[in-house]
Amino acid sequence: MTSTIEHSTVSAPALGGGIYRRLNFGTALIAGVVFAVIAWWIAHSLLDSDGRGFSDQVMVITAVGWVVGFELGIGAFTSIGKWFTGRDQTHADEMYLAGKDAGQARYWRFTTDHKVVGVQYIVVTMILLGAGGLLAMGIRTNLLSPGNHFVNQQIYNSFLSVHGMLMILALIVAVAGPWANFVVPIMVGARDMAFPRLNALSLWTLVAAIPLLLGSLAVGGNDMGWVTQAPISNQSGVGFDLFAMAIITFTVSTTVAGVNTICTVLTMRTKGMTLERLPIFVWASSIAAALGLYAFPFFLVVMSLNISDRMNGTSFFIASEGGTGWLQENLFWLMGHPEVYVILLPAVGALLEITTVFARKPLFSYRTSIAGMAGLAGLSVLVWAHHMFTTGWAPALGGPFMVTTEMISIPTGIIFLVLLGTLWRGNIWMRLPMYWVFGFISNFIVGGITGIYLSDIPVDNQMHGTMFVVAHFHYVFVGSVLFGAIGALCFWYPKVTGRFLDERMGKISFWLVFIGTNVTFLAMFVSGLRGMPRRYSSYSSIFEHTNAVSTIGAYVIMAGMLVLLGAVISSWNKGEPSGPNPWGSKTLEWLVPTPVPLENFEVLPVITEDPYTYGEARTNS
Amino acid sequence: MTSEKTTTSRAIVTIGILWVLLTAAGVLVSIYATPWLMPESASNTMHMGILTMIIFSVAAAPVAALVYAVVLYALAKWRYTGEGIPPDGPSLRANSPLTMVWIIGSTALTLFLLVWGLSLLASDNSGQGGANEMTVNVTGQQWLWSFQYPSTASTQNGTPVSVSNEDLYLPVNTPIKFNVTSKDVDHGFWIVQMGIKINAIPDTITTTEVTPNKLGDYDIRCTEICGLNHSYMTTKVHVLTEKAFSNWLAAQPKHF
Ligand SMILES: [Cu+2]
Ligand SMILES: [Cu+2]
Repeated sequence: MTSTIEHSTVSAPALGGGIYRRLNFGTALIAGVVFAVIAWWIAHSLLDSDGRGFSDQVMVITAVGWVVGFELGIGAFTSIGKWFTGRDQTHADEMYLAGKDAGQARYWRFTTDHKVVGVQYIVVTMILLGAGGLLAMGIRTNLLSPGNHFVNQQIYNSFLSVHGMLMILALIVAVAGPWANFVVPIMVGARDMAFPRLNALSLWTLVAAIPLLLGSLAVGGNDMGWVTQAPISNQSGVGFDLFAMAIITFTVSTTVAGVNTICTVLTMRTKGMTLERLPIFVWASSIAAALGLYAFPFFLVVMSLNISDRMNGTSFFIASEGGTGWLQENLFWLMGHPEVYVILLPAVGALLEITTVFARKPLFSYRTSIAGMAGLAGLSVLVWAHHMFTTGWAPALGGPFMVTTEMISIPTGIIFLVLLGTLWRGNIWMRLPMYWVFGFISNFIVGGITGIYLSDIPVDNQMHGTMFVVAHFHYVFVGSVLFGAIGALCFWYPKVTGRFLDERMGKISFWLVFIGTNVTFLAMFVSGLRGMPRRYSSYSSIFEHTNAVSTIGAYVIMAGMLVLLGAVISSWNKGEPSGPNPWGSKTLEWLVPTPVPLENFEVLPVITEDPYTYGEARTNS
Repeated sequence: MTSEKTTTSRAIVTIGILWVLLTAAGVLVSIYATPWLMPESASNTMHMGILTMIIFSVAAAPVAALVYAVVLYALAKWRYTGEGIPPDGPSLRANSPLTMVWIIGSTALTLFLLVWGLSLLASDNSGQGGANEMTVNVTGQQWLWSFQYPSTASTQNGTPVSVSNEDLYLPVNTPIKFNVTSKDVDHGFWIVQMGIKINAIPDTITTTEVTPNKLGDYDIRCTEICGLNHSYMTTKVHVLTEKAFSNWLAAQPKHF
């Protein structure tokens, strides 16, 4: 690479020049609000206020105004605008965008350095988890006893929808956001992502989506659950429009991010970094990103058609006018099931990485584990209709979808084989990240097995739409993915901050979250088995005990997450210093200095072997 | 090398014993806890559903037990207790025979579950119908259920009428076919103790079938979110003897 030479030949930029230096999160907020107001005003004055769907049209146009204004205000289009006017970026501009010498301010700007974007994603993930967690507490508090003593049904239903969607967004980005950005480029030996500006764009587009989602609660909510099923979606107020616009905005963000991850891994690997030598987390992130590119367009389409039915008088999903709600469900789950693996795979990849380091063993069966993850991704696109076994759609397809769904247990079994094989006869170092690995194994076996029951149609006829399903997927999302995300945070925290995440607080948090998860969702399994449907705001007295237990368990999870938050904040500047490679890992991100310098490597490394040479009589370069 | 072999075989023996014990515990819990946790059964469909839950749990027990056995052993015996970064473990990069056994084993288990499930599904689809089948029309609307008996249809002053009720009454041991629809949004028609569930969808008719085999009162709950009072969209099924049912039906007024 010649960039070090370029450094020395370019003189310092003249300060105060260029619009780059004036834009930040504050200007983005101002521009977003201004554009939203202008869009609202234009829509109000130009559209026919007696027409069908007028309020939906106004809301959608206002939301578009917000997003466009926010992106302009953060500077997402500045470079391309300059290019159009014939003034391409200078090297000084690029260095400025990368956050060179900008200190804390770069975290509040459209900064292209992948490590800054990674840290921004950590914060965004925590905000999403915090908001979704508060709504979960609201839901569980209302369910503490029957009778809607905490909130009314309308608010309860909105809590359900927004909790669901916040958590889905949070988990999609929880591992891929922070670590596919911070770690993957270094892992493959690159100086940044393939498209640094797209990287910043994906982050700030996600940020733009959050106020829309939370705003939907403020304008009446969306009271039909996160699946936004038609035709009830046509009964919802304008809260639904903001909810759907948030998702549409999010799909743009995640598509841009996915393209970037894949291109980075395909084109930016350093010399000798063959596909066979890639760390398993890189494989997991790439497969998940590719799967996301398949899945999320369906999300964009289903939400767009749904909004269109409301504001344009189309009838894609309205049976009385020639459409069908089954189309909505098909499109939704064409996205919805692959999305589970978009969420799961990066967490699995991170945990596998952690396991090799803390068991001091090579990854067991590297190729089989790649095949397992690819198998999960491949099968996951063929199983969507298992969410529709009881909808009455295409009964003849029940059998085939049952076959594809149950086959998923084979690649899932491979993940367990790889984990157990890597632990086998290792010297297991029980530091904080490893706790979450063991927690994951315990929870994921429960989440996985209960999924097999649901794939069986005669059982699903009983269990579909009950709390059993809710408990099942929370074992996967909370018990498995969240554990993977926290494990990844504990593992890479020293690389980001140069300090350990407080081990004692971290372990307290682990035990609270682990016990809380099992208490909450085991009791929820019992509620479901006994016959409690999901999305009930109140229930008959036979479900009282198990619901009270679930609510107490949920509070314990929240307490654990607050302890973790406390540890993350307090250790950031005050934690025990860790040095560049505290875990004795062999992947590249641990072999560069901490804090990682801009552009990561002084000299790009040349790779001669994979990073799993534990116990092998060779010296690692 | 010998000591390494003995430690490995000791690990395998201990994990094996642990595995057998945990599997036995899992099997016992599956057999006894599952029916106790689930609602009573009022149809053969429900009975087979509960049986399937038990069989799947029994089949899953050795898998879960193996994972827990290895994890518990690892935590007890392979945990590094010294200071600092532990020394490297053995370089076990792959074990092809083990991997093959694992994949074949999990495939075989999956196939067994599939064969069980598919044959049950096939018998479910062909077991009903028959000459004495009775049809009930089910209509969901925000937020109540109503049930019409088309066999009682006639005309009064030129308008078609039939028996209609907000509790469901059924004769025991008679195959019932439900034609399900909705007046507004999707609802989920679920008879909790009979193991059947189908969505009620506006402008669409979906069907499901069941033969109640036990007298008593059972629960209907809505399983598809349908707005404000979704949680209160519940009603009762009363399964009567055939004679009591025809008496009930005859005593009902007919409406449009
Ligand atoms: Cu699915
Ligand atoms: Cu309902």
